Amino acid sequence: MAKKKGVQKSEVRSQKSEVNFLPCSPASPASPSPHLPISPSPPPLSLLPTITVWAIALLVTATFAWIVGDIIWHGAGTISWEFLTTAPKNSGREGGIAPILVATGLILGVCLAVSLPLGIGTAILLAEFTPTDSWFGRLVRRSLDVLAGVPSIVFGLFGNVFFARTLGLGFSILSGGLTLACMVLPILIRSAEEGLRAVPNDYRLAAASLGLSRTTTLWQLLLPAAVPGLLVGLVLGIGRAMAETAALIFTSGYVDRMPQSLFDSGRALSIHIFDLSMNVSGGDTNAYGSALVLVVLLLLINGTAAQIADRWLHKF
Amino acid sequence: MKNQQKYTALAVTLSLGMLLSACQQNSPKTQLTLTGSSTVAPLTSEIAKRFEAKHPGVRIDVQTGGSSRGLADARSRLANIGMVSRNLKGNETGEFQSFAIARDGISIILNTNNPVKILSNEQILNIYQGKIENWKQVGGKDAPITVVNKAEGRSTLELFLGYFKLENSQIKADVVIGDNQQGIKTVAGNPNAIGYVSIGTAEYDIERGVPIQLLPIGGVEASTKTVQNGTFPLSRPLLLVTAKPPSGLTKEFIDFAQSQEVYDIVKQQNFVPIATKNVAKTSVR
Repeated sequence: MAKKKGVQKSEVRSQKSEVNFLPCSPASPASPSPHLPISPSPPPLSLLPTITVWAIALLVTATFAWIVGDIIWHGAGTISWEFLTTAPKNSGREGGIAPILVATGLILGVCLAVSLPLGIGTAILLAEFTPTDSWFGRLVRRSLDVLAGVPSIVFGLFGNVFFARTLGLGFSILSGGLTLACMVLPILIRSAEEGLRAVPNDYRLAAASLGLSRTTTLWQLLLPAAVPGLLVGLVLGIGRAMAETAALIFTSGYVDRMPQSLFDSGRALSIHIFDLSMNVSGGDTNAYGSALVLVVLLLLINGTAAQIADRWLHKF
Repeated sequence: MKNQQKYTALAVTLSLGMLLSACQQNSPKTQLTLTGSSTVAPLTSEIAKRFEAKHPGVRIDVQTGGSSRGLADARSRLANIGMVSRNLKGNETGEFQSFAIARDGISIILNTNNPVKILSNEQILNIYQGKIENWKQVGGKDAPITVVNKAEGRSTLELFLGYFKLENSQIKADVVIGDNQQGIKTVAGNPNAIGYVSIGTAEYDIERGVPIQLLPIGGVEASTKTVQNGTFPLSRPLLLVTAKPPSGLTKEFIDFAQSQEVYDIVKQQNFVPIATKNVAKTSVR
C-alpha cells in the first residue's frame, strides 16, 4: 500500500518538473518556465534592482579575485619543486610541505573511501526505496540537514572523543579521515539524493515495462544518469574536507613527520597554514605558499570534476 | 524484510569500526605523546625532531589544543607530557610536576630617537587606550603617538592584555602587526611609534644596530637576564608538565628539552632559555 502511494507521488512530482527538466543535467539551473506569467513591459523602476543585482555579483567576484590575487601575490615566490618535496624545518619557517601534502591526501582518501559508499547507499535508499513523505525519509532528511549545519569544531570534539578515545585510534590520519567523513556525509547524501531524484520517472517506468529488475535499473540507468549530481556533492564535500582545520586539530593532529601508516598522526595543509600564521613568528611567507598550494589543489579538483561531468554527459 | 537489510548494513558498519579499533596496536616505551599550548608546540616539535634524530626508533608526537588541554591530558594520562604556557595556579602546583624549558617575555619598544626612556604602567595603559595621544604628555617631543598592536590570536597579545588587564577591543591601535619582526621594523622606521615585542628578538636586533630601545616594565629592566630569572613581570614560563614524577623516556626527553643542547632552538623560536643546572649527561640509556 505504502509502495503504491510512493509511486503515485513521484509521478506527480515528475509531471511538475517536466517543463524545466533537461535530461541528464540535474545540476543545471531551471530555465524560465513558459507557463509563468511574464509582465509585458518592465516598469522603469526595475533599473534599480538590475543595478543592485549586478553590483552584488561584481562585489562577490571582486572579493574572490582579491583573496586569490593576494594569495598568489604573496605565495607565488615560495612555490618551487623543493617546497613541494621537502619536509618543514624550523617549525615550518623553512623547508617544504611534503609530509603535510601526503597527510592531507591520506586524510582525504580515508574520508572519501568511507563517505562515498555510505553516502551513495543512503542516497539510493532515500531516493529510490523510501516514499518522499514517509516518516523515515523525513526524519533522515531532517537530521542530515541539521548535521550539515553543525559547526566543524563540534565534529572535531566528537571525533576526538569517539574515534580517538573510545575506539582507541588516537591522534591519527584514520581518526581525522573518519571525522571528516561524518562531516561530509550530509552534503554528499543530500546532493546524491537530489541527483537521483532529478532522473525522470519515465526512465524507471520504461525500465519496469521492459521487465528489468530494480537492481539493473539502478546500476545501468539511474546511477549513470545521476553522476553529474553525485559529482556536485563530491566537489562540495572535498572542498569542505580540504579546508577543514578545527575538526582535524583534535583528530589527525599536529605532527609534521612523514606519515608511515594510517595510524600515524599527520598534519593537514589547513592546520599547517593556521599554525604558521598564528603560532610561528616569521612563518607568514610559507603560510602564503601553503595557502596557494591548497587553493590550486581545490581548483584542480573542481576543474577535473567539471570535466568528468561534461564528458559523461556527452557519452551518455 | 527491507528493515532487516537495513539493520544488517548498520551492524556491518559498526563491526567494521570495532575491527579497526582492534587492529590498533600501541607500541609503548618508544613513543611519547605531548599535548597542550599552541605557543609551546612549535618549540617542542623542533626539540622532538632533534631528540628523534639522536635516538633512532623513538617517536615523539606533539599535539596542540591549549594549555588547559595539556593539563587535562597529562592528568588523564592521554599524553605523557602536557605543555603549558603560563604559571601553574592553585592546586595545580600540587597535582603536577612542572619543568620549565624556556620563558617568554615581552616589553615595550620605542625608536632610539624618542627621548622618552621610561613609561609607567598607567601611562602605557593610557597610550594604548587612546587617552594619551601625544608624546608631549609623557615628557617627550610634541608629536602624535603611533600605537602598534598585535593581531588577534598572537600569544604576545594575550600576555600583554593579561598583564595590563585590558580587552583587545579597548585598544586604539594605529597599526596592527603580525609577528615580532614586523613590529620591530615598524618602530625602527617611525620615531613616534610604540610597540611591544618578544624581548629575545628585540635584543638580537638591538645588538645588530636596529634603532630601537627596550623600556623597563614596573621598574624592572627588560633583558633576557631578568626574563631568565623570572623577575621581569611581563613574562611567562613555558612548561612541560607530568602527572607523576617522570621516568624512562619521559624523563630523558624532559632532561633533553632543558639542556643547553637545545638553546639554539629556543632562541630561534624567539624564547629565552632558562639558566638550568649544567646538564652534562644528556643520555641515560
